[in-house]
Amino acid sequence: MGHTITEKILARAAGLPSVRAGDEIMAKPDFVLAYDFPGYTDVYFKQMKEEFGIDKVAEPERYGIFIDHMVPVATPKEEELHEGTRKWCAENGVELFERRGIGHQVAAEVGFATPGAFVVHFDGHISQLGTYGTLGIGMRRNVLEAFVREKVSIKVPETVRVNLTGTLRPGVMARDVFHHIVRVLGPASCRFQVMELGGDGLEGLTTEGIQSITCLAMFTGALTAIVNPDQKRLDYALPRARKKLEPVYSDPDANYAAVHEIDLSELEPIVVVPPTPANTRNLSDYAGLEVQTGYLGSCASGRLEDIEIAAKILEGRRVKTGFSLHVIPTSQEIMAEAARRGYISTLVEAGAFVSSPSCDYCFGRIATMTENQRAVSTGTLNVKGRMGSPDSEIYLCNAAAVAASAIEGRITDPRKYL
Amino acid sequence: MGLQNLKGRVAFIFEEDDFDVDQIVGVKNIKIQDLDELAGLAMKSYDPDFASQVRKGDVIVGGWNFGYGHPHYPPMKALRHLGVAGVIAESFSPGYWRGEISMGFPQCSCPGIRAAVNRWDEIEVDWQAGVVRNLTQGTEIAFEPMAQSDALMLEAGGLLPYLKMNPAG
Repeated sequence: MGHTITEKILARAAGLPSVRAGDEIMAKPDFVLAYDFPGYTDVYFKQMKEEFGIDKVAEPERYGIFIDHMVPVATPKEEELHEGTRKWCAENGVELFERRGIGHQVAAEVGFATPGAFVVHFDGHISQLGTYGTLGIGMRRNVLEAFVREKVSIKVPETVRVNLTGTLRPGVMARDVFHHIVRVLGPASCRFQVMELGGDGLEGLTTEGIQSITCLAMFTGALTAIVNPDQKRLDYALPRARKKLEPVYSDPDANYAAVHEIDLSELEPIVVVPPTPANTRNLSDYAGLEVQTGYLGSCASGRLEDIEIAAKILEGRRVKTGFSLHVIPTSQEIMAEAARRGYISTLVEAGAFVSSPSCDYCFGRIATMTENQRAVSTGTLNVKGRMGSPDSEIYLCNAAAVAASAIEGRITDPRKYL
Repeated sequence: MGLQNLKGRVAFIFEEDDFDVDQIVGVKNIKIQDLDELAGLAMKSYDPDFASQVRKGDVIVGGWNFGYGHPHYPPMKALRHLGVAGVIAESFSPGYWRGEISMGFPQCSCPGIRAAVNRWDEIEVDWQAGVVRNLTQGTEIAFEPMAQSDALMLEAGGLLPYLKMNPAG
């Protein structure tokens, strides 16, 4: 019997000829990534020294630290955290990526998304590197293991294969594909497993779109998501790759815990209603619901195709008076390109507030909602209090729907503007 | 394994699946660090008398995919402060599972557990035998074995002691 791409990556990382789902192994991550956040990196840095007596990480080239939360800072205490991070990186010889954009996206841009690599982070949205055939796993606090040891303990996960066929209809985006997967397979469908995307339908999705889907894998219970990288993904990832590795692919006779088929041509825009990512509904059923704010951005969405469609919808139109539309490109690279293409000026002229990349809008640190307010959002999550007051609400949807809703101040089906 | 058996009463049963643990203290209290304050808020919306009734060693029972959403640490810190010794659920969401195992807080994945217990039944999780016993009803039900590294982490008392026991990896 053949092996999955995940088994192959973990076998190499463990230095074993082969591994199978269920094996408990020690694997050496090719890259260890983290963004600075109070209670996380500051604690790891301190524990490394004080609890384990480790002054510097071995092989600093394996590590990458991002400053993307609390950007820009609002208090001296926040700046103090960033200062500590800068100092640690300088002392350790670890590369710091500051204000380049949301780390999970920047990680792909700067070559951590090396096809065939095993990457760990504390944050599960690193799963989006799977777009390039990279196994990215969020370990929560356990990522400390990767700061104080060469290898991390991991049980080789089973894989659930999701085959996509067909093409999306206008107004339906990659975000909808992910929410549809949660809807039809369920919020626990890939629990402790890897969601492997495949099928002809992938060809019709952009790399950015696939990143939107793989980014959110955790809401199916998956440890991560991965794609067998085709030429388009390799053309992006290989020239930037930080390590010379042979890309690997699932064998045709690999063993899957389940195989699902999804016809993309049947999908329509979805809204995920509060307070859980499991509440997927047809957006058309919620059309007309009043909303006061809109967020287009995050590590899941906020890339060129998202900004492009928002600009297309808002061109020659106005954001409704009193409605706050925040557009935050996912990275500086994306923002610069969006500016070159004229999307930014279109959005600004329509009345959008456009900001440089930051994670802070997604978790309510800024653009914070007060009670009884509602947002349409391409952020990652809609749990209570995520973007402000516990008595505010978040309706997750695609970028086109955020733009269309900004015009009307109500949840709006984007297809009427396309 | 050397992990001590859990033995206590079922202090509460969360019937809902995909349970968001932040609800235990309420989202608006999620940033509170003080344990006494957190414990005073815990479970108020589920059972206002919970804090006065729960005893050291009691356990919590949950549904499928327990811990779904964006789990934070304070809710379980609050329950531990009140004496809760572990959670037995039909199944767990991986992020929650990892986080709590790293805190050294025993979790037991046991399909069928909700139907097998009533609130305040006396139960025992026998790690060695791989069963949850309902001592009140005289029944038992098998649980799913956990990964060895998880078991070792629990035995050690959490992530830090676990890593210290074997710093070289």
